[in-house]
Amino acid sequence: MSFLAFFFIVVSLLSFVAAQLILKRAMEATTTTGFRNTQFVSKITSGILLMTISFFLTLGLLQRFDLSYLYPFQGLSVIFITLVAAAVLKEKLSMRLTVGALLISVGIVLVSLS
Amino acid sequence: MQNRPSGFSNPWLQLALSVACVLVSEFLLKRGAAEVANTGSAWSWTGLNGLASPLVWWAILLIIASFVSWLYVLRYIPITIAFPLSRVVDILVPLGCWIFLGELISPLRWCGIALVVIGLALVAKPIAQFEERL
Repeated sequence: MSFLAFFFIVVSLLSFVAAQLILKRAMEATTTTGFRNTQFVSKITSGILLMTISFFLTLGLLQRFDLSYLYPFQGLSVIFITLVAAAVLKEKLSMRLTVGALLISVGIVLVSLS
Repeated sequence: MQNRPSGFSNPWLQLALSVACVLVSEFLLKRGAAEVANTGSAWSWTGLNGLASPLVWWAILLIIASFVSWLYVLRYIPITIAFPLSRVVDILVPLGCWIFLGELISPLRWCGIALVVIGLALVAKPIAQFEERL
């Protein structure tokens, strides 16, 4: 794998993780403040923008690599999002949830390696 | 978790719908991207040339649908629970290939599928207990 490919895979993964966290923040806020405020609109817009970047980078990667090759990296997003959501969004993270997310990540990597 | 609506607006049902749309879109994207692949061009790193394939457009429609459901899910369910559960799609893809396309699944891949199932069960169990108390 070339450096360029690795770079695009990492950027795609990071923008996906960041997008999910921003979208979660945006949607949580709607339960108290509703949809018509600039906070919500700016968050949802940046979330969608990041998702779009991640989407097109993935599409570019899919033209070069098999889906089965790119999947392990998507698998990593599970444990990434779980840990970052606990740290940034202060979501409650039990031992059970952490182990569960870790097993899912490892499982996805195994599924795509074989 | 706040008071959740029931019926079609039940967030768990929306999570399932979101997963189903992603599942179908993954197959469409791979088919579409392969259809118009032009790896000689540097521009194709952006993936924008994928838009030439109608399959990619169908996939985009499904992705938008799954995205709307997903936003709804995020409103009610913590992302530490919702996101790991949404990755059930990662075992549904190879299982779908096995059941519908007759592709073989290697022993290592079965181990991976088993790990994901155990992981999903661990993540889902507290929810089942939570729902029972309601």
